[in-house]
Amino acid sequence: MDDLQEILEDFLVEAFELIEQLDQDLVELETTPEDLELLNSIFRVAHTIKGSSSFLSFDVLTKLTHHMEDVLNKARKNELKLTENVMDVVLESIDMMKALLYCIRDNGNDTEVSMDLDDIIGRLEAVSAGDDIPEATNEEVVVEDKPVIDEKQVEAEEEDYSSMSDDEVEAEIERLLSEKKEEAKKKKAAKESSAPVAKPKAATPAKPNTPKKKESSTPPAKKQASVLEQTIRVEVSRLDHLMNLIGELVLGKNRLLKIYDDVEERYEGEKFLEELNQVVSAISLVTTDLQIAVMKTRMLPIAKVFNKFPRMVRDLSRELGKGIELKIFGEETELDKSIVEEIGDPLVHIVRNSCDHGVEDIQTRESCGKNPTGLIELKAYNEGNSIVIEITDDGKGLDADLLRIKAIEKGMITEQEADAMGDKEAFALIFKPAFSMAAKVTNVSGRGVGMDVVKTNIEKLNGIIEIDSEVGKGTIIKMKIPLTLAIIQALIVGAQEEYYAIPLASVSETVRISLDEIYTVEGRNVLRLRDEVLSLVRLSDIFGVKQVYEPGEFTYVVVIGLAESKIGLIVDTLVGQEETVIKSMGDYLQGINGIAGATIRGDGGVTLIVDIASLMEMAKGLKVDIRESMQSKNKVKTKPEDYTALIVDDSKMDRTIMRKSMEPIGINMIEASNGQEALTMLKSGEYDIDVMLIDIEMPRMDGYTLASEIRKYSRYKNLPLIAVTSRTSKSDRLRGVESGMTEYITKPYSPEYLENVVRKNTKLTAE
Amino acid sequence: MSDKLNQILQKQANQLHKPENSDEDIVQLVGFIIGDEEYAIPILNIVEIIKPIDFTRVPSVPDYVLGVFNIRGSVVPLIDLRRKFNLTPINNTGDTRYIVMKGEHNTTGFVIDRLTEAIRIKSSRIDPAPDSSGGDKGMVYGIGKREDSMLTILKVESLLRRDF
Repeated sequence: MDDLQEILEDFLVEAFELIEQLDQDLVELETTPEDLELLNSIFRVAHTIKGSSSFLSFDVLTKLTHHMEDVLNKARKNELKLTENVMDVVLESIDMMKALLYCIRDNGNDTEVSMDLDDIIGRLEAVSAGDDIPEATNEEVVVEDKPVIDEKQVEAEEEDYSSMSDDEVEAEIERLLSEKKEEAKKKKAAKESSAPVAKPKAATPAKPNTPKKKESSTPPAKKQASVLEQTIRVEVSRLDHLMNLIGELVLGKNRLLKIYDDVEERYEGEKFLEELNQVVSAISLVTTDLQIAVMKTRMLPIAKVFNKFPRMVRDLSRELGKGIELKIFGEETELDKSIVEEIGDPLVHIVRNSCDHGVEDIQTRESCGKNPTGLIELKAYNEGNSIVIEITDDGKGLDADLLRIKAIEKGMITEQEADAMGDKEAFALIFKPAFSMAAKVTNVSGRGVGMDVVKTNIEKLNGIIEIDSEVGKGTIIKMKIPLTLAIIQALIVGAQEEYYAIPLASVSETVRISLDEIYTVEGRNVLRLRDEVLSLVRLSDIFGVKQVYEPGEFTYVVVIGLAESKIGLIVDTLVGQEETVIKSMGDYLQGINGIAGATIRGDGGVTLIVDIASLMEMAKGLKVDIRESMQSKNKVKTKPEDYTALIVDDSKMDRTIMRKSMEPIGINMIEASNGQEALTMLKSGEYDIDVMLIDIEMPRMDGYTLASEIRKYSRYKNLPLIAVTSRTSKSDRLRGVESGMTEYITKPYSPEYLENVVRKNTKLTAE
Repeated sequence: MSDKLNQILQKQANQLHKPENSDEDIVQLVGFIIGDEEYAIPILNIVEIIKPIDFTRVPSVPDYVLGVFNIRGSVVPLIDLRRKFNLTPINNTGDTRYIVMKGEHNTTGFVIDRLTEAIRIKSSRIDPAPDSSGGDKGMVYGIGKREDSMLTILKVESLLRRDF
């Protein structure tokens, strides 16, 4: 039983791969019907699937492929000309074959879908019989009498390909090939004039045959069928596991690099450092190579997705009565398997849209003086750590003004919003759900769903979409997608005292702005960046980070983009770019808003990775006036009681003396027994401290360290720090100045002196 | 010589078998203090007990979820049991520990005030949780009676369950 299951799985994998190639080959065949090489490879596919399915006793599938094989065999032997009508039938039968294969994959049999094959088989028969060369006339009679033909009868006529081994088939193909080559030229001329087109009665599909229809063509794809590469099939789960292990290794490497930096600082000039450096560099190099190598094993050429488009565009152009040519570039560009799977749907929607709304019909194109055949280009190429997919059409383009009007009509935006919108933002409107520019809903599109799907899928991949369009010239849709999802490059930013990792693929740029550049429009903070208007939010507001630092005059803005939208994220520090491995935070913290996961940094600490999609969602609901909150100055202080002094000394007695000295001022006083405690009090924001009296010699954190720590916060740049100490030497005083002390009082001191110094520094002069 | 060896082997074999026979209904627990009360959890649910280390705050979660921390390369949530039990939070002391517990699906760290001891208690000495403890959302597995004190045995699965 297991054996059979294994064979079945192999069969399915093989069959799906074959079919993918088949679609492309068939469309190509239509433009070059004489390409024997192509015909042969198509024939081989039908034959292989037939052989395997009969072995696995999938009778329905066998029957279908058998009839396909018949038609193809005739075409191969030049007994049948592949007209568009014939191709329609063949393509349709391939669709049914696919449906059957899906059914087999899902249900393990081909009867579950209970597909009615009589019709298609009848048509295949008709086509196959349709323009037979004379010797097969008797067969035609059979067809006409009973469309569903007895299998044995068919197998009996001509060579029985089903009973041939693969080798024999190859041999047969070879034989026919050489035969053909000689005859081809002579025959062709005669044939094309004499061979009748498929008879109308031959039950060809009722699709309208557009008179001016141009044959869609694809550039000759590289034929790899003959070059056999050596491969092994590996389960994806094994590769996933390998990737996870590499992820751990990358984190280990990051950590090693960080430790090396620390060691280098501490043991500068030591001899062993050189050796350590070599080892660390070697390991980091190998790890990076290993990571790339494993990533490559997961990579698939994007051809896997692109392959279905020639067929799709061909069908669409026939259905819509337009002439559309599809050109594909860069189908060998590779990207991660998981991404290849996600990207198919969005592409289908975009290409459908380009066919339906983009490219005009033939008459319109001609009257505009354009080439009557529209051109759609599908391009893929690498750019840094991302892959870019471009869909270009030379159709009528998007009219930004029309889009604005339509959006206002539907109540999606207000008129002011529309006025403030740049053209690019207006183009982005097409991604709104239920927004459609189509005058009427057609079979192909117009329901306003497709582009929404595009947006959602690209968001899932952390990709960015850009639209560029010119009325009358065409539209370019550009999608930028990260190469892989497991290990990502991230920008580490600081919001107050917390750090977050932003996927680099979503970051378009970082800018440093001054507060004056922030404008307020309808209660929202915006930034004018070149010709764009960005709405601004603070990362710390989104994540509710405690405000500790007073921001300076300048601040950093990280411009992040997702799918079609952009936003400016205000952060307090930019740390740098780092390689991060997304780790789940477990069931307990699954699905936290705004957080995609966590990663372990070089120092062993955990840093949260921002989920751009939900972050943008959260940003929308946020209303904080950044400018106001950033500029909020201390309340005006008038009375001495409004002022607070912090006394930092480890000796209770010293603190009491200071207290007594300052009592005449009437100022509030609080105490801390060491530097650490004082710093915590200061940072907690609980007290609004105006002056600090600091002893130098204290446990846990001395006065010098405390002063230099305090000076790190721009908010406390001007806070008066008064050193009160028994250290009197010049070097001590100097150190005091270096660490940022404002005044230096040596013990013993007179109470009046201290009082005066404090008064001077708080500007509380005695009346 | 071989006699001696046999004796030792015999002894070892006995030791191996004994616990299974005699300790059948003994439950092994680890006791710890939160606030004024002693709690306990089954020893088999404990991955490890560590001294407090740095953790990273996670936004938009209840206040008893302090954040996440790194334990041997995995990212694990940290929950303050004091806050979870509605007690006033205190700063870490020298006795504060993180107990890392694992359930069927996930692993989570819990902050406790201090450890007491490993406890062996006969399962017959454990009473089911009183009805009134439903207020704790069924976090109590049972009450262990000891010579001089009572012990609240917590249900690990419900501690590990996300309830927000």
